Amino acid sequence: MNPAILARNFIQVAWRSYRMGFVVLVVGILLAIFAPHFLRADNIINVLTNASVVAIVGLGMTLAIASGNFDLSVGATAAFASVVSLSMVPHYGVFISVLIGLVVGAIVGFCNGIIITELRVPAFIATLGTLTIVRGFSLIYTKGQDITLFGDTGYKVLSGGRLLGIPAPIIMAVALAAVLAAVMKYTPFGRHTLAIGSNAAAARKAGVRVNPVLWGVFAIVGATAALTGMIVSAQVLTANGRLDTGLELQAIAVVVIGGTSLSGGQATLVGTLLGSILITMINNGLNLLNVPASYQLLTVGVLLLLAVALEVSRGLDLRKVLRIGTSA
Amino acid sequence: MTNPSPLPALAVQNLSRRFSGVQALDNVSFDVMPGEVHALVGENGAGKSTLINMLAGVLAPSSGTLEVNGKRVTFPTPASAQRAGVGVIFQEFNLLPQLSVAENIFLNREPRRGFVIDWPELYRRASAVIQMLEIDINPRTPVQELPVAQQQLVEIARALSMDPQVIIMDEPTAALSEREVERLLYLVKTLAARGVGVIYVSHRLNEVFTVANRITVLRDGRHILTAPASELTEDSVVAAMVGRELLHTERPPRHPGNVVLSVHDLAVEDSVKGVSFDLHAGEVIGLAGLMGSGCTQVLEALFGLRAITAGTVMMEGKNLNLGAPRQAQHARIGFVPEDRKRAGIMPDLSVLNNFSIAVLDRITQLLFLNRRREGALMNTYRDKLHMRYSNAGQLISSLSGGNQQKVILARSLAQDCRVLLLSEPTRGVDVGAKAEIYALIDDLVAEGMAVLLQSSELPEVLRLSDRCIVFAGGKPQGELDGAAMDQPTIMHLATGLAAESGPPAPEIIT
Repeated sequence: MNPAILARNFIQVAWRSYRMGFVVLVVGILLAIFAPHFLRADNIINVLTNASVVAIVGLGMTLAIASGNFDLSVGATAAFASVVSLSMVPHYGVFISVLIGLVVGAIVGFCNGIIITELRVPAFIATLGTLTIVRGFSLIYTKGQDITLFGDTGYKVLSGGRLLGIPAPIIMAVALAAVLAAVMKYTPFGRHTLAIGSNAAAARKAGVRVNPVLWGVFAIVGATAALTGMIVSAQVLTANGRLDTGLELQAIAVVVIGGTSLSGGQATLVGTLLGSILITMINNGLNLLNVPASYQLLTVGVLLLLAVALEVSRGLDLRKVLRIGTSA
Repeated sequence: MTNPSPLPALAVQNLSRRFSGVQALDNVSFDVMPGEVHALVGENGAGKSTLINMLAGVLAPSSGTLEVNGKRVTFPTPASAQRAGVGVIFQEFNLLPQLSVAENIFLNREPRRGFVIDWPELYRRASAVIQMLEIDINPRTPVQELPVAQQQLVEIARALSMDPQVIIMDEPTAALSEREVERLLYLVKTLAARGVGVIYVSHRLNEVFTVANRITVLRDGRHILTAPASELTEDSVVAAMVGRELLHTERPPRHPGNVVLSVHDLAVEDSVKGVSFDLHAGEVIGLAGLMGSGCTQVLEALFGLRAITAGTVMMEGKNLNLGAPRQAQHARIGFVPEDRKRAGIMPDLSVLNNFSIAVLDRITQLLFLNRRREGALMNTYRDKLHMRYSNAGQLISSLSGGNQQKVILARSLAQDCRVLLLSEPTRGVDVGAKAEIYALIDDLVAEGMAVLLQSSELPEVLRLSDRCIVFAGGKPQGELDGAAMDQPTIMHLATGLAAESGPPAPEIIT
């Protein structure tokens, strides 16, 4: 092959793969220069830990978006799984209770999958519905009260535990990203998910069993939402039905900012990790620079719009390129 | 030609266009006279789309000039092309489905009274344009309620309403049935008779020869020839398009073996009834019929995509239960769907992933894909099908239509199927790839594959099939083979005229 084309392909792939890393690096350098104490070890660890909490649900959401869907119910799912999990701790201990939380999340997700595939409700509406329903369940389950853990139950290990000095949320986020990346790349389930996201009709006609794949995808999203919810609850050892509102928007934002296309068929889990770090880092930097919290709200929105606008313009370019390629 | 004006309606001189190092169009010149139908043919990648886009004001030329009625023009925007009198009907329609026919025709040019749209005037003008086309469409109908063929007429009406000097039609018959094609070709001649210059872009040479006064061939972005249609033959045009003599292939002798697929009294949903046939190994049965005749439904039902409501399907003597594609695949039935873009390819996935999607369970070991085996399998079929791509990791959407189709074919073949269901296997692929796909099907059949073929192109059915079942209105009208299988007989059955003692069959343009 022509070396010029090889070089161009290499640069394109490199930029596509490392674009987010590059952006994170540049923003990091800027913050290191301008924001006092940004580079202090405890601040960096703090940023990465907070980023990891969002990243975990973002990783699940990456799969949903790659399959051409959405899950708006993750915040409600996170809250429900947390209240159930925390309420189980006095009876079954920490380990079993966390497992129960994960299973509850997966079941809620599975139900989303069933509603979308069997009742043929579009994901947007289906998960908007379950969002409300599951919030309702949480409030009924807790009777509107807080569930608080007293004494040293060990639940805090989820948020505060450390392995080799690395906080548990970071370890879980990185491990989950690695596992899901392997699943997407090396298993039939992953390939099927991308195929469905790219063209569900074609996937079906190629023999992919679309419905069970989507049940799996949504169960994974639910479980990751539950994990994020339980980590957040572990930080304060309290859960209630109003926890994690707006989590769905954060989760979708980190996925999109990370570079996963909203049109489906493609997923970057590393991008989602980097997207979470970028948002958390910028908010942290603004904090350090004493920018009022109300202004910080703007950053996620502006970043999201920028990321989507960039993606759309890239898509247009690509279409033009294709038109040349297939010029009839 | 009714208008012997010496000035061309549109003259293209030395037009070139380069895209980041790729010469998409290189110094092309040709013209179309008023009242002339000028066909523009060429394989995919020959530069037709680039040329059309420049004539439509979508793309700017790198160099070269355009003249309309002898006047130099430039088209910086699509609107300027329209104002200069060049109307383009793109292959993909630009209609707003919820709006009425009249609104679509006069979109952005609605007659006004003060600030508001003058609705009675709008409908009056739309009716006038529709009458010019000698067609029967209610201008108040929302476009989405019209069949595809009529939507296309709305596109033509819109172009015509701008009082153009030249109308350019890009593959206007791609989505039409044989019957509708005839009407369209008649319409094209009517337009020319009014003095409009028509540039007719098509893959289908029989249409081109039916309608065109002159033919221009492009290849690799270059002008190859322009000549009166009367001085050319289909073979000479094909040779000019592909740059070499294509072997004019006949169907090779076939040696059918045992019955593989036995269908008895099949009914599909509410649309198809009473289908019976025995498909042998090493045999091709063609299903022919107009759009909506039920051929496609039969294929889809046999692949588990539509509900079978009556009858039996047996594979080598065993009853099949076809509730889902999985079950058809298990029975070793493969399927190539008709609409490649909509139902065949997954555009965001690589060539490799598009190919292997149906056989993943076979290359999976302990939950994980064996990617070496996957690559090896891909290479086998790449060689067998002569697929052209630089790298199995590239997006399938970057391949030509013909190569995409080969990937979809390979996807079915990799499942070791015994029966291959082919729906429009060469739709939208160029002449060269078409010949290759025919040769491939011949090879497969010689090796014992049983093929059930559905195609709206009768020459394709005739070229590939040993026997042919003709459908009309969801029912088989008859089975033809040998010398009885020819275009007029098929059309006769397909239009349902054989069964009735009505008026004589319309003349069939072949």
